[in-house]
Amino acid sequence: MDVNVRIAGEAGQGVQTTGNLLVGAFARAGMHVFSSQSYMSRIRGGMNWFDVRIGDEELFSGRRRADLLVALTGEALEALRGQLAGGGVALFDGSEARGAQALPFTDAARQTGGSAVMANTVAAGAVFTVLGLPLDDLSAHLEVLFKKKDREVVEKNLLCARRGAELAAALAGKVEAPGTGGAPRDVCNAASAVGLAAATAGVKLVTAYPMTPSTAVFAYLAGVAEEYGIVVEQAEDEIAAVNMICGAAYAGVPAMATTSGGGFALMTEGVSLAGMMELPIFILVSQRPGPATGLPTRTAQQDLNLVLHAGHGEFPRAIYAPGTAAQAYELTRRGLQTAHKFQSPAFILTDQYLIDAQTNGAALDRSLRPIDLHVVAEPAGDYVRYAGASSGVSPRAVPGGGALVVCDSDEHDEAGHITEDVRVRVRQQDKRLAKLEPMTAEALPPQLHGPGDAATLMICWGSTYGPCREATDALNAAGLPTGMLHFGQLWPLNVGRAAGEAIARAKRIVCIEGNCTGQFAAILRQQGILSGCELMTRYDGMPFTGEEIVERIRS
Amino acid sequence: MIDWPVDAAPAWCPGCGNFAILKTLDRAIESAGIDRRNLVLVSGIGQAAKLPHYTSANVFNGLHGRALPAATGIKLANHKLEVVVTSGDGDMYGEGGNHFIHAVRRNITVKAFVHNNQVYGLTKGQASPTSDPGFVTKIQTGGVVSQPLKPLALAIVHECSFVARSFSGDADHLHETMVAALTHQGGFALLDILQPCVSFNRVNTFRWYRDRVRPVGESHDPYDRAAALELALKWGDEIPIGIIYRSRRASFESQTAVLAEATLREQLASAGR
Repeated sequence: MDVNVRIAGEAGQGVQTTGNLLVGAFARAGMHVFSSQSYMSRIRGGMNWFDVRIGDEELFSGRRRADLLVALTGEALEALRGQLAGGGVALFDGSEARGAQALPFTDAARQTGGSAVMANTVAAGAVFTVLGLPLDDLSAHLEVLFKKKDREVVEKNLLCARRGAELAAALAGKVEAPGTGGAPRDVCNAASAVGLAAATAGVKLVTAYPMTPSTAVFAYLAGVAEEYGIVVEQAEDEIAAVNMICGAAYAGVPAMATTSGGGFALMTEGVSLAGMMELPIFILVSQRPGPATGLPTRTAQQDLNLVLHAGHGEFPRAIYAPGTAAQAYELTRRGLQTAHKFQSPAFILTDQYLIDAQTNGAALDRSLRPIDLHVVAEPAGDYVRYAGASSGVSPRAVPGGGALVVCDSDEHDEAGHITEDVRVRVRQQDKRLAKLEPMTAEALPPQLHGPGDAATLMICWGSTYGPCREATDALNAAGLPTGMLHFGQLWPLNVGRAAGEAIARAKRIVCIEGNCTGQFAAILRQQGILSGCELMTRYDGMPFTGEEIVERIRS
Repeated sequence: MIDWPVDAAPAWCPGCGNFAILKTLDRAIESAGIDRRNLVLVSGIGQAAKLPHYTSANVFNGLHGRALPAATGIKLANHKLEVVVTSGDGDMYGEGGNHFIHAVRRNITVKAFVHNNQVYGLTKGQASPTSDPGFVTKIQTGGVVSQPLKPLALAIVHECSFVARSFSGDADHLHETMVAALTHQGGFALLDILQPCVSFNRVNTFRWYRDRVRPVGESHDPYDRAAALELALKWGDEIPIGIIYRSRRASFESQTAVLAEATLREQLASAGR
């Protein structure tokens, strides 16, 4: 079983603080947690909500309806009351409310803790009580959360949690909570997973021009910069950001930029530069709906074509699209390894939904384990940067290491100097593109979930993994054999045998994507991997849910 | 099959100021005692940007206008490298104008040598950001309307740590100023080098510059910002050359805690493979 708790209010009211508090406390209680956020592009006002879904089994996505709604404004209550599940409870921060249980969090916080700031702690205490949970885990979490503050702050928060529990105890409505214990206590989101993976892999320079929804990764890396020895520089624009990492990569240091669609559009010439100079750059692209400014704080899977085709000319690249926070960690490390092994740009393509979603899982390895940079330690006296190689990968030296390293954005000869000799041009272009074959051989095949011989096969990529996985399990449980293929690497494509067979056996193939045109389905058809398929798209800025996919598969 | 030529000699016009700048730069590198294995010449696109190919150094010849951010990345990765940008007025002040402003703000120890001939050479004679008003080209057929950019003044206003101007026609002055820029430690250095374009600028010729440049006197205190700004704004019958301005701002890398003990490259080497 699972329960969905929704906190809703204006920006600046503490929706996120309350949500994060609950995520931490539920995880501490050993419950499986999945949180997701919906927020507007503003710092104050509007309406934001934060869903915390808890269950006694692992959770992979959000849910449309809430079992427990905590409304911090009348507008939030009006807008979201209709999405309350049968038997659900709505709490409202006030002295009276129609169709909700009035519970004055803010007043109680002022009276008990001496500050309205602690209203979120009162609300968390109330939520625990409505769910019939003892306060122990919430209290323990508050102790940890405020351990660096004065004891007085901890005590006041503990009092506020208890006050919330007292107020809620008097209420009529209750929601049954899932069982506690068993789930890991560590919580992370894709933003911290990507950041930690980059830091532990030895990324030394991180640049960005801040852009939602990628800034969380930039901020995470700034937070651990001292611990891991990273220079984090906010560039004047995305063009500067990408050229800075090109420079750092040339000088022998793993470097990364973070951005979203519009910012990435500005970086495309730099991506082409990395392709020509054969530089191992790494870029996180966190998607939001476009075109142009679009919906800045919502989610989408609309920039696959942009990332796949970014940059003029033809050169190899690798694109990874994690489905979970744990996979975001693995694929970030792998992306950096691929970039360095093949001296080519590599990308992590994710989105607002996954960047913000929090789940509990096994603790991620925090130890610094720099990847192999594949740099020649002692280049010979006659070293040249672009020597011919059947694999396409020329030995890479870096400046300051004894040999002179010459790199050019113009077509160049083996020594890196400008040339317009067409024979050299063809040789160098062939050499660069020769890397695609070994890169393809190393590419990750899609993961199969559910039966491999089902008549219905769902194909998804990136963050749609979670909702699709829940849908697969639900459909099979309901007696409708359904398989699912999730692509964590989108380019180059290596389908592998198991997935190839599942595709061959399926009678109905549905590609599920957060865009209008089915960008990945088109790539699969173009590559001869699929001949035809149905599309299930969503492009309103909200993520898919498992239940939605089930309904749309059955309809 | 056509036997295609292989490039070896500089792609500059006979009489181009770039030859003098190249020759003087080679001499200045020696005078400054720089080990070429630790020297990185970074450039964008344009005639000046081709210079790194005609000398001996590490080379990063990147994108149009983007030499400064690439140079910044190189310096951050290994701040023991000597990083010099060779650029032109279009590359540095036009396409790369935003990076120029922010490089001055950032004050990382990169030396920018800007070959300023007030015209676009590689694209054949259009106006540049430093072209004088009224300058007629095949595009600006009625003459340039926009105000010319004042790079020295712009840098001084933002307390650039080293601001100088020289002339390709005065080899000794250029050599002296280049050495001063190359040996300047701790911060961004701008050296604007006036240079004739024999093919596309028939107004600002060798003679035009030669008759106007005036070395700043020994009495000029480069730490006097008001006096420096006054010199930087002088343009016309007299054009001051020399070290116009210096500030005592700390460099970006000296204020970056992570770089205090070792370069990022060294830290990586000691962390593992």
